[in-house]
Amino acid sequence: MTRFFTLAFTLVFILFTGASYAQEQAEQLFNQLKPSLYQIRLIDKASGEKSSIGSGFQISTDGIIATNYHVISSFALHPEKYRIEYLNNQGDKGKLTLQSVDVINDLALVRRDVKQNMPFFQLSTAAPHKGEKLFSLGNPHDLGMIVVPGTYNGLKKESFNERIHFTGSINSGMSGGPVINKQAEVVGVNVATSGNSIGFLVPHDKLVNLYNTFLQASPKTIKQQMAEQLTANQSKLMTKILTSHWQAKTLGNNALIPIINVPFIRCWGNSNADKTDALILSAVANCSLDENTYISSHFFTGSMEIEFRTMSAKDIGTTKFYHLYQQQITRAGSGNRAGKEDVTEYQCRHDLVRPNNKAINNKSIFCTRAYKKFPGLFDVLYLSASIDKDKQALVSHFTIAGINKENALSFTRKFMEAVRWN
Amino acid sequence: MELIIEEISRNQKLLHRHKFNKPIIHVGRDYHNDIIISDPHICPSHISINLVNGDWLLTDNYSVNGTFIETDNGKEQADSQHIIRDGDIISLGKSQLRLLFTDHHVAPTQAFNPFDSFIDLMRHPVTLSLSISLFSILAGMIFYLNSPIDLNFSQLFVPAISMTFGFALWPASVALVSHLQKHDPRIMAQLGISFVLFNLMWLSNILESIVAFNSVSHSIYPLLVMLLSVVLAFCLFWLNGYIGFHMTARRRIVMAVSITTLLFGGDYLVNYSKKPEFNPRPQYNATLMMPTLLVASSVSVDKFIDDASKLFDKTAKEAVKQ
Repeated sequence: MTRFFTLAFTLVFILFTGASYAQEQAEQLFNQLKPSLYQIRLIDKASGEKSSIGSGFQISTDGIIATNYHVISSFALHPEKYRIEYLNNQGDKGKLTLQSVDVINDLALVRRDVKQNMPFFQLSTAAPHKGEKLFSLGNPHDLGMIVVPGTYNGLKKESFNERIHFTGSINSGMSGGPVINKQAEVVGVNVATSGNSIGFLVPHDKLVNLYNTFLQASPKTIKQQMAEQLTANQSKLMTKILTSHWQAKTLGNNALIPIINVPFIRCWGNSNADKTDALILSAVANCSLDENTYISSHFFTGSMEIEFRTMSAKDIGTTKFYHLYQQQITRAGSGNRAGKEDVTEYQCRHDLVRPNNKAINNKSIFCTRAYKKFPGLFDVLYLSASIDKDKQALVSHFTIAGINKENALSFTRKFMEAVRWN
Repeated sequence: MELIIEEISRNQKLLHRHKFNKPIIHVGRDYHNDIIISDPHICPSHISINLVNGDWLLTDNYSVNGTFIETDNGKEQADSQHIIRDGDIISLGKSQLRLLFTDHHVAPTQAFNPFDSFIDLMRHPVTLSLSISLFSILAGMIFYLNSPIDLNFSQLFVPAISMTFGFALWPASVALVSHLQKHDPRIMAQLGISFVLFNLMWLSNILESIVAFNSVSHSIYPLLVMLLSVVLAFCLFWLNGYIGFHMTARRRIVMAVSITTLLFGGDYLVNYSKKPEFNPRPQYNATLMMPTLLVASSVSVDKFIDDASKLFDKTAKEAVKQ
């Protein structure tokens, strides 16, 4: 019994000292790095008030500060309406100028004028190891700079553009703040959270790339830089998708659909086999790309959705089956949010199409809208409904946001040839 | 010499007709007159009409509100001794009289035209009940096709019958209006004609769907079929007018065209006003019908991709424009 108490006491003691050690360490790190941490604020020129806030950290002695693109996105798109300011730990404010962005990885570089050399954050040269303790710094909800300890849990497997999975609470306002290891080197940048202590970070190498590219040549205009990045990213993504293996899979009884075999496209399925009173038996497979590139709060791009649906009539005639089938395909919408100033309205074309394999006859609809700020990029929507079987139907549908013409057409061609009856 | 006096309404509809074969005729509000008009603005002995040397002379008996002759350029106060011409319209108080001689020229006889025999066929009880039943069956069919769950007969019967009654309101109101305008209501003929045309409109809708199903985007055929329903609507209103109202052919066409324009133009305006400034959703025609109704041949993927590629150039041009 006594032995048990001793053991328990020892355990509690160890835990306690461990915790206080971590706290001490965090405090020490925080104090040391405080002068290079900033709150980044976007000030609306007309009202003089801040319209959005985030965090940032200095990465060079001459005043280059890194933050998230989404913190300063309004300025990047409407530089005439806003100005960017920093607020440092002394409570001093000052003007910032936007230097460069990486819209795909949600990073931005801004510059403050400095008179003498200043301390700055060192960028790490290596990725952390799994389970390593990290510290996230930032200013959540305008409450003041805080430090949040957490754990590195590797890269998020399902994302096309790498993100670190960080176990620790990241809150809004901490966006753009650095995440450092025990050696006070930056290993990532706070970017997003999905609640319950699951946070996502941009890996440090993306920031290193952006900074090195910036040192070689600063971009001509931010908008042009964004357009180039969006175009390059979709090319990279679509090349990967078009060259990867498309696995034919049976859906329902006799429909063959392509499943794109890449880790960043994930599929889910459902059917109504349990509903005994349903007039139509249907099975659905949904696949989507877990990417959503933030351009502004009402304009996202880079997403991709694919949906297949088979239907077969149970106790109803062909006329009624086709009538209900038509209702299933009348209201397809775009997969990404975009407004009047971002895109044109959709233009559509429909036709009856029989692919070369002659294994299906479809009514196919293709729609596209062009990006107004990023020439050469489009959102596309494809919807196809089989019209060759009396009591069976196969709907194939996809939407892709932010793609160029060639890639969209190649993807559509490959997709159309891959959907068929068995 | 005889004189015909017609009491007419303000829009020149005949109310009463009198024929006199006597040399002096009195018109007024009291009961000694030959024509008694109970209009408070008319004097007890308002006018008298005398036959003098073969002419009819109108005399105003110092009435309070006077007597007026309708001429080409408006009303004109009657002289003390106005010589009546054939077809004169005179106003006294708020009433009107038309004076005609026995040799008044009448319009040539109208032969029965094919419409009349068609209308007679349609108002026949057998045809009428057939077309109303066909309408109810079609309405029931539409309810059946649109319902996502299985329905029994009575669940279809009630909406189908209510829809039939709803549509019967149109011919009924046309008949009511023509009755109010002192015409023969001819409700059976109105019902017969209207339901036949309603059925034809259903059929033109089905035809429109079949054409839309078989044609590619921006094809002219669906538009042509839509014109068919405009023509059918015009025919309906024209026949409603033909049955219910006596009017000139020109006026009937103008009336039918105006109601058709009001209907389709109003529909277009409502849709246009609802259209948002920017529509984030794609607009496309998704008509699907059963494979047996498919007559058009399909194109290859290459052709489809080729057509789709033109959309990119089109939207890209639009993006630059704004």
